[in-house]
Amino acid sequence: MMTQTVALFVDAYRELNAKKLFWITMLLSGLVVSIYAMIGINEEGITFLWFTLDFLPGNINSEQIPPEILYKGLFMNLGIGIWLTWIATILALISTAGIIPDMIAGGSIEMLLSKPISRTRLFLTKYLTGLLFAGLQVLAFTTASFLVIGIRGNVWEPGLFLAVPLVVCFFSYLYGVCALLGVLTRSTIASLLITLLFWCGLFVMNMGDAILLSFKVQYEVQRDGYTMGIDRSREGATKIITARREKEGNPVPEGFIATDEEMQSVMPWMASTIEYRDEAEETLGKLEPWAKGVYAVKTLVPKTGETIALLERWLISMADLEAITDGDAEEPTIDEESGRINLDDNELQLRTQEAFRERSVLWVLGTSLMFECLVLGGAVFVFARRDN
Amino acid sequence: MNAEATAALSASSPDWAIDLADVAKTYKGKIEALKGINMRIRQGEVFGLLGPNGAGKSTLVKILMTVIRPTRCKGTMLGQPIGSQSILRRIGYLPEHHRFPSYLTGAQVLDFYAALTEVPRATRKARIPELLELVGMQDWGAVKVSRYSKGMRQRVGIAQALMNDPDIVLLDEPTDGVDPVGRRDIREILAELKRRGKTVFLNSHLLSELEMVCDRVAILVQGQVAKQGTIDELTAGKERYEIELATPTKQPPLAEMLHQLVSTNWEQYGPPKGWHDAGQLRSGEAIRVVNNMVQVHSSDAATIQPIIDQLRAHGAVIKSIRQLRPSLEDLFMAAVGDDGGVGGSKPCNANKKPLAAAPHTAKGDAS
Ligand SMILES: Nc1ncnc2c1ncn2[C@@H]1O[C@H](COP(=O)(O)OP(=O)(O)OP(=O)(O)O)[C@@H](O)[C@H]1O
Ligand SMILES: [Mg+2]
Repeated sequence: MMTQTVALFVDAYRELNAKKLFWITMLLSGLVVSIYAMIGINEEGITFLWFTLDFLPGNINSEQIPPEILYKGLFMNLGIGIWLTWIATILALISTAGIIPDMIAGGSIEMLLSKPISRTRLFLTKYLTGLLFAGLQVLAFTTASFLVIGIRGNVWEPGLFLAVPLVVCFFSYLYGVCALLGVLTRSTIASLLITLLFWCGLFVMNMGDAILLSFKVQYEVQRDGYTMGIDRSREGATKIITARREKEGNPVPEGFIATDEEMQSVMPWMASTIEYRDEAEETLGKLEPWAKGVYAVKTLVPKTGETIALLERWLISMADLEAITDGDAEEPTIDEESGRINLDDNELQLRTQEAFRERSVLWVLGTSLMFECLVLGGAVFVFARRDN
Repeated sequence: MNAEATAALSASSPDWAIDLADVAKTYKGKIEALKGINMRIRQGEVFGLLGPNGAGKSTLVKILMTVIRPTRCKGTMLGQPIGSQSILRRIGYLPEHHRFPSYLTGAQVLDFYAALTEVPRATRKARIPELLELVGMQDWGAVKVSRYSKGMRQRVGIAQALMNDPDIVLLDEPTDGVDPVGRRDIREILAELKRRGKTVFLNSHLLSELEMVCDRVAILVQGQVAKQGTIDELTAGKERYEIELATPTKQPPLAEMLHQLVSTNWEQYGPPKGWHDAGQLRSGEAIRVVNNMVQVHSSDAATIQPIIDQLRAHGAVIKSIRQLRPSLEDLFMAAVGDDGGVGGSKPCNANKKPLAAAPHTAKGDAS
């Protein structure tokens, strides 16, 4: 038992070690880390090596964004967001898509099945070999990033290492599908291409979800803003009317609150405001079923984007985010000419972020892993029952 | 046959290394690869399984090794039911067209597969050089298998099958792609295994080789056992005599005499065609004249005495008289139903035959 396990892992190591892409990916990782080691920030702005990039718009400097946050941001957006979860993932899929088809190829599968070892175990070890590829890559990358952030940003943030399980988890969703396809098609190319397609499908769905969610948040903010504005105006109108009626000798009854019509009589622009609120309400009502539908579908499939976003959720708190985006978020105000609400863009972004963060970790990881278990279960089932 | 097999099963005699009853396999797509095989292999014997391409030989071996699942299967291997995994530890297996991971060296291949068979590390370390030497690959242990030639891969494959010091070795076409020297080496390895009391189960197309090493053979045709037994058993009563003449058989008066002798019952065979004649003696034995050779199908020496007398009386000079038994190839052809019957083909003395006898593709290829 032990002998077999050791042998399988030594073999996994040898298999990875023999793959050129494994080392190429490592090398590229090093490159990415060194690029953002060269980027810095000081009182004047962003620096690259010894140059200060003061021509950049927005006048960002170390007072607005502390180096710590800059590096964490770079790590997450450039390092994880672009490099690890796009380019490196594609490279990893290319180099690991063949593991299962190679194992079940005629001539090599007989060698394995004729040993006293169960098919389930064989399959899962090979699957883990694929994950090991991803794991080692992320570990190396994260360690390098940890050092760079420590040295350049002066923060030693062990939380970065959360990237390792998260990225492996993310990769495992895709690799599970790839392994199932490998068992079904026995072809590296076919399983790789279909996996990439599947991934694109997830991406499109995530995009749709993000757009829907931000719309939803936008209309919610609008509706809430209008409602608040209307409530405030009503208070004002009530006071005005109360005062006016008092003067006219026709005092309002106890507990008088101005009706919509009465309010409009003193604040004519409120007519459109009420209309806008109702419109926002209506649009929200229309968005709701779509958002619910996408959410339901997403519950069934792996949540690639959100799994990676968990890292940001854990590394950069909402408070940090607010600090970066804008310290003094303005209250939405109602324009007295048009009756429209003025929304703060940053505020909207923050609210959208918040809405995303409201989705529980259990939902993000749990349902994704459930999907993966089903896929793997299917793959093991097919692998164990087919004639090889 | 069936009753006998079941009886043996219930007795579960310990000296059967492999005891199969009613092993059947129907692949997806309704290919009936095996249609109920009954087969027994004694402990310590070298057993050869032959048959045309697609007969189901590899399928049978794969069932024994749990690589594929049988549709029906009653049987035991070393006393345990077929399909049990624990017994695999005591079996060595060389699959046909095996492929080893290209990133491993020869020594690593031996080490890896032996580890999967749960051979302890120390034992593996000791056995790797021994076995590499046994198959003549001692200088190649550190070279990646992707750089091996076909025969070298085959040799490492055989070494790999012996790493766990197995009680039964199943070899699916072990000499495939191996040069004549290597084939002789492999034969010696098999002999050595047998001497050590191991059971060897061999799939091969090289009939002459099987003939040299096997104690018993089975001929598989279209998923069924056509014949099974020792070569002696299978050839019993099918010997023939060959009288080689130094005199051309086309010269009269010898020619007329032979013509007469051979065409006694020629109606049965159709009209005689030139001098390559076949016929039957009055006593019933088949006789045939091929060039200056007279073949008489009989195991009784008395039968040919009058023929010798006649030949000599007609001026023939006899160069040699040999008693031959049918070769495995002859048996094979008969079982497969190809040209000629038993002994119908060219004379064959096993030990003189070139090693590289071409594997015969027979009818019924794709069953
Ligand atoms: N995986 C498979 N799926 C479907 N049919 C198969 C499969 N493997 C073998 N067969 C069929 O089963 C039959 C027996 O094949 P098998 O490989 O056992 O023959 P064999 O006797 O070993 O032939 P050869 O001498 O060519 O090695 C053939 O008709 C073949 O087409
Ligand atoms: Mg075969």
